Amino acid sequence: MKNCDQFRELIEAYALGALDPEERAVLEAHLATGCSDCAKAVEEARWLVSQLAYAAPEAAPSDMLKGRLMQTVRAEAQSQARPHVLPAKSAIPFWLWAGVAALLVFSIYSAWNTRHLQDEIRQANDRAAGLLQERQKTQQQLEAAKREAMIMMDPNSVKITAAGNNAQGLQLEAKWNPQWGIVVMGNKIPMPSPHHVLQLWFIPKAPGAKPMPSMMTWPDANGKFVMLVSHPPESMDNIKALAITEEPEGGSAWPTETPRWVGGVS
Amino acid sequence: MFLAAFTSSGPREVSLDATLLSRLLQKDVSAFEQLYDRHSRLVYGLVLRILQQASTSEEVVQDVFLQLWRNAAQYDASRGPFVPWLCTMARNRALDQLRLKSERQRRREDQPDDLPSAVVAPDYEKALDEKRRAERVRALMASLSPQQKKAIELAYFEGLSHSEIAATLKEPLGTVKSWIRNGLLRLKEGVQATT
Repeated sequence: MKNCDQFRELIEAYALGALDPEERAVLEAHLATGCSDCAKAVEEARWLVSQLAYAAPEAAPSDMLKGRLMQTVRAEAQSQARPHVLPAKSAIPFWLWAGVAALLVFSIYSAWNTRHLQDEIRQANDRAAGLLQERQKTQQQLEAAKREAMIMMDPNSVKITAAGNNAQGLQLEAKWNPQWGIVVMGNKIPMPSPHHVLQLWFIPKAPGAKPMPSMMTWPDANGKFVMLVSHPPESMDNIKALAITEEPEGGSAWPTETPRWVGGVS
Repeated sequence: MFLAAFTSSGPREVSLDATLLSRLLQKDVSAFEQLYDRHSRLVYGLVLRILQQASTSEEVVQDVFLQLWRNAAQYDASRGPFVPWLCTMARNRALDQLRLKSERQRRREDQPDDLPSAVVAPDYEKALDEKRRAERVRALMASLSPQQKKAIELAYFEGLSHSEIAATLKEPLGTVKSWIRNGLLRLKEGVQATT
């Protein structure tokens, strides 16, 4: 203990931070020797000095200081909370990151590919629908052609001859089959006026009966047309003649002009 | 010593501080706010006494509490009570600021730049709440001679060394040393007598 006396005198001032550099160096050199008594004395002196904080008049900092502090602390807490959600960087091996990246790329590719396939399927469906429609149309045309041929060839068909008042001189041929309907074929027929069509009429035998409107058509570029009436409105016995007029586009309920062609049903 | 460290403030207060500090280690913002509310007046009062300027003092207090928030793990509760440690950190930072301000800055090897070491309470120290502790220290300081009180205050609140205090007070160096040593010993006796 005697050896420590000279140092003990310095300890309180050392804890207070009041020692000049030379004395501080001397005491610290002694403490560095591991003197436990002096080290304990320094601890006690430090605690005593720490109590001097209470000698200062207590004062309240501004509310703004607390506001600034809490803002900073909350921001840091939030930014530090994110890494806690996921494992630490070092905890995730590289191969896992590579796997995640590959999965991401594969997902993007799959999404693109799925969309691409969906587009292709939609286009294929559209094409199939178009082909089907075309096929149905062809089939209908084929059936119509077969029906026309049957009407034209069937011995039971009645030929409808042009009546005497065909001033237009239209080259038309028509046949009426009781079972298959009526075929009217034109050749070198002039094109109707713009926004007009050729309309077929049934002229009843009954006196004063109203002509019955039927199909409308246009001749092609060569002046040809074929008109198939699969289901005539009346039986052949009640019809006196067929007639064709030129009517406004969409047809008329009553002939608006003198027929350009009239064929008598005998 | 371990138990003594925890009884240097009121048992409930130490227990609450210890709980709050353990939560602070988990980055609990609410715990930080409670610690601030509990001790900011003491810390700010100390720093303001040293710096004598409110705005600079608030900057230092902000720095101290941010250090607490960021480096709470550096505080070892088993080695000493929280409040003296916090006050020591605040005093060190305020004195650094004071030295910078007055251009009397010089490195002091016994005052680390970062957090201070633990302040271990002596065996004789018993539980006291913060209010009674402040009353006791102020009463004991008032009981010192004016010279002793002045010399200790110059050292503690202004960070002056023996030589600087002697020059400031225009008193012999040996006299100043005696004032400080005898004053601190008297404070120690007073603390022991009140426990």
